[in-house]
Amino acid sequence: MNAIVLTSIGKRFKKQTVRRDQTTLKSEIVRWLKRRKDPLKQQPSIHIEALKGVDLTIPKGKTVGIIGRNGSGKSTLLKIITGIYTPTSGTLEVHGRISALLDLGAGFHPDFSGRENIMINGIILGMSRAEVRARVDDIVAFSELGEFIDEPVRTYSSGMYMRLAFAVATHVDPEILIIDEILAVGDEHFGKKSMAKMTEFKKAGKTIVLVTHDLNTVQKWCDLAAWIDGGKTRLVGEPAYVVDQYRQAVAVAEAQAEKTGVSALSSMGGALPDLPAAPKPTSGPDVSPNHRTGDFRLELERVRLLDGDGKESSVVDTEGPLEVRIDFVAKEPLSDLVFAVDIKRADGLHVYGTNTAAEAVALPLPVEGKGTVRLCIDRVGLTSGGYQLDVTARTAGGVTYDSHRGLYPLTVQSKVNDVGIMRPPHRWVVETESEGRSEKRAPRHLAPARVG
Amino acid sequence: MIRNLRELYQYRALLWSLTLRELKARYRASVLGFLWTFLNPTLQMGVYSLIFGLIIQQEIPHYPFFIFVGMLPWIFFSSSVMAGASAISDRRDLLTKVRFPAQVLPATVVASNLANYLLSLPLMIALGLASGVVPTWHAVIFLPIVVLQTLFTLSVAYVLSALNVAFRDLQHIVGNLVMLGFFGTPILWSIGRISSEGTRTALIYGNPMAAMTVSYQQIFYYHRLPDWEPLGTVALLSVAMLWVASFIFEQRREEFAELV
Repeated sequence: MNAIVLTSIGKRFKKQTVRRDQTTLKSEIVRWLKRRKDPLKQQPSIHIEALKGVDLTIPKGKTVGIIGRNGSGKSTLLKIITGIYTPTSGTLEVHGRISALLDLGAGFHPDFSGRENIMINGIILGMSRAEVRARVDDIVAFSELGEFIDEPVRTYSSGMYMRLAFAVATHVDPEILIIDEILAVGDEHFGKKSMAKMTEFKKAGKTIVLVTHDLNTVQKWCDLAAWIDGGKTRLVGEPAYVVDQYRQAVAVAEAQAEKTGVSALSSMGGALPDLPAAPKPTSGPDVSPNHRTGDFRLELERVRLLDGDGKESSVVDTEGPLEVRIDFVAKEPLSDLVFAVDIKRADGLHVYGTNTAAEAVALPLPVEGKGTVRLCIDRVGLTSGGYQLDVTARTAGGVTYDSHRGLYPLTVQSKVNDVGIMRPPHRWVVETESEGRSEKRAPRHLAPARVG
Repeated sequence: MIRNLRELYQYRALLWSLTLRELKARYRASVLGFLWTFLNPTLQMGVYSLIFGLIIQQEIPHYPFFIFVGMLPWIFFSSSVMAGASAISDRRDLLTKVRFPAQVLPATVVASNLANYLLSLPLMIALGLASGVVPTWHAVIFLPIVVLQTLFTLSVAYVLSALNVAFRDLQHIVGNLVMLGFFGTPILWSIGRISSEGTRTALIYGNPMAAMTVSYQQIFYYHRLPDWEPLGTVALLSVAMLWVASFIFEQRREEFAELV
């Protein structure tokens, strides 16, 4: 089920100034007269194409990050999704109630108290009076304004203003939430609260569309990233990959600008230059760049998950061992090399990540030719459920040789019905006064094992 | 037109809140506050009755009350039209950030001015009583007349607000036209002063506000039933104009967010 389907959306704007003339009654009449007198004369172009064909499908319940440089059409796209603008061409399907946080505090009146503004702002954002009234207390509590809530908004500090606005905006109960670059609200404490609120939205299965320049947020937080460039969809896919490609393109544009002296912003009609054709790996899994990227100076040929018996298995017991065996081949001598393994839960939560640099593992540098790295985990220690392993070889500075993402599923089984993410080695001790001391050690197979 | 009004109904909570806010905001932070609703027309009336009653001797009994009867609906109309012209073009903050039917904005202006008008009616009655004019049952006709005027005012506000988005000159033109309209409407003078029957008819039928004003005067001042023909014409005109206005609005609403 898709929440939003955009098919070749185009948007043209009429230029507000033609030959530096503001559009007024006079200028329109003059233009009309001129056109009548000399209909063949070329009129200056009066349109700006902000979007030139955007295709994007946003599945229900997913968080989608839209990235792209300034002026690439991101905000126009959001306004089309919310229905503030109508597309010039293409079709738009939206399933579900939309709430758009394009601007905080729409309709706030400076002379009114915070409480009065909550009502009006809530209604503007699409709630009914009864809904707002029911949520006023929550909103006031969330905004942490205390007694200031009954003071006129014009006396607020900008942080207080934003907090109140954000509190109202997030208490609208939408199915689809559209956010334009406003997560960084208030101080650190409130920022965390805002993130928690967003996570709550995510957990509740709401679709979130987010425009931001904070690429880390996209990587950490989104299920899908879309890169809008020059009014078109340039790339849609796994956030890590899309962000990586975007960063590379920006780097290329900056390098070009340095060489030619032309501003990176003005060239190519706003679009970023194409990346040089990505190198293709010669060995290892043949999958889309969504799952595998790098410059492949070193290739991860084979990654195997081995259980306690040394058998290849994607199912392990939480108390059992796990070995990640990575066969690689370096095509040239590499003296800057880090191997990294990350474990993620099925919903994308980063459960654990480590690498050879962080743990100061001595690699036989320079590395060349074939080799094997083994990460031996004595005890898995995760609660039962689905996980996946990401394996990366890179430089210490972060240039990727070969990165495999989402290719190695891992199922953890457990005989105990415990919950959470990890199971630390543990035992229970129960004491009562009458019976003295009774200690229940975990059964043999649950015995604490050394970790790390 | 039906769709336009239905959307207005759907967004009545917004309309209501914005109107309420408009009313509250108008006099907030002023010492006399809500009293200005009464003070403003009273002061205006004072000025006019001074000039036209004492200096340019008008032969109208209870002249201040006479002015009041015509001036209050005129204030309703003229403020709605003048503020309505820029109702959409001034609200960039809302239009470009939130999706809602834009007709709420001019409708808010009309609604808040209507509320002001209705609230100042007690003052008019009081003034009438003070000068010895007791209202009669004819005042009941007020209801259909004010509904009519609201429809008419709304349609004018729609058209102006929609056009003003693209042609900002309009709001200045409107200000001057309203001034002309004020003197071209029998508010300070009685329609009876026009001796030619033809001119009188032309004014009544050519200026809807003249027909409205005369009707108000008939029920409140002369205590008789209004002439139905001019009112019927205004009714037809109002519905037709509202239809056209909704049409223009419908045509242009997609541009609003881009042009404001």
